[in-house]
Amino acid sequence: MPVRREKAERLADEELMPLVGRKDPEAFEVLYDRHGGAAYSLAYRIVGDRAAAEEVTQEAFISVWRSGARFDAARGSVRSWLLSVVRNRAIDFLRSRAGKAPKLTFDDDAVLEQRPAVERTEDEALQRETAAEIQGALGKLPGEQSKVIELAYFGGFSHSEIARILGLPMGTVKGRMRLGLEKIRGELAEGLA
Amino acid sequence: MNASDHTRWKEDLAAYVLGALDGDEAAELERHLEGCERCQEEMRWLEPAVQVLPESVERQEPPRALREALMAEVRDDVREAKARPTAGRRRGWLLKPAMGFAVVALLVAGVVGYEVGKDGSGDGGGASTLERQVGGINVKMVQEGNSGTLQLSGVHQLPQDKVLEAWVEREGEVEAVPALFVPDRNGQAETRIADMSGVEVVMVTEEPQGGSETPTGEPIMTMEVPS
Repeated sequence: MPVRREKAERLADEELMPLVGRKDPEAFEVLYDRHGGAAYSLAYRIVGDRAAAEEVTQEAFISVWRSGARFDAARGSVRSWLLSVVRNRAIDFLRSRAGKAPKLTFDDDAVLEQRPAVERTEDEALQRETAAEIQGALGKLPGEQSKVIELAYFGGFSHSEIARILGLPMGTVKGRMRLGLEKIRGELAEGLA
Repeated sequence: MNASDHTRWKEDLAAYVLGALDGDEAAELERHLEGCERCQEEMRWLEPAVQVLPESVERQEPPRALREALMAEVRDDVREAKARPTAGRRRGWLLKPAMGFAVVALLVAGVVGYEVGKDGSGDGGGASTLERQVGGINVKMVQEGNSGTLQLSGVHQLPQDKVLEAWVEREGEVEAVPALFVPDRNGQAETRIADMSGVEVVMVTEEPQGGSETPTGEPIMTMEVPS
């Protein structure tokens, strides 16, 4: 029996997921309304054009709808899980797009800058604030560390591919990834989390 | 396992959580992770650093058509599922076989304690508590206003791929309680039931990760809720 929209809105993401698993469209719609913006933004950041981002986002959410029961609360938040599904779909899309390789030119500032926009809701304002804080944490990384992290996460490159792209030993790439993630983690531990 | 081994795995872990290890390396690390708590802990510590990366991207407004197309597909799925013949109605499932099981459980294990009490101050907003022990599990249902908290103690440890799922029955309809839960290492488990209005029976079953649409196993506890 589907829950009503207003009831679904009162539920936490973790409470919505079992309902999505039971094919409740109202619960799914609430989930999309909460995280669709972040999902589309991530897809756009990875694939680089709006039509492709739309396709990737729709595919990702449909896969969640059809396999919602696979969410495991022990592994993290619903939002993180959803965004990882979107990221994987987007990387798959990049890899399958014939004749078009993932973006190779990485401008650190492109990730760290935030275009001013009208804040529509309190939630959105809070998310922008969080995004700004995270961007601040990323901005503190040495460029060589943020670059390998971005190539891996947003470009979908393996460490050996990154080593070839940047002309570095593979051990150096792995070391920079570790140092960069440890610094971000340290920033989170100091108050971002 | 010496310190230099762990330095090697530590560097691989960062690439792994970023999804940047090649297939063979990832498989090798996963085999190592199965038996290395230190690396599992390191991975859990690193994961949030990756989970925040998507939050750093510039926000884009998704087109309205995306939402419409998505929900149209979802509602088509629902319509198709309704059009398919179903294996049977869930209505009344809980009260009939589950209550039968509860009666057997009570006869075998014996009701050690049963109590309905008011903990509140008498202003009408207090909590009512219902306690009983069935089959070695202490069950406490604290109802406050329209919501309730189901607290279990003495629950056996679950396999990794199992969770506890609570079910309620009201007006003959069985509904799953959305929040899945697991016992802690002391055998204590708790879940919240957001809407207790009209609930006649509460039951808990062991289900696969992610929960089930209908109960798949025998209940570990069943409790009638006095109206």
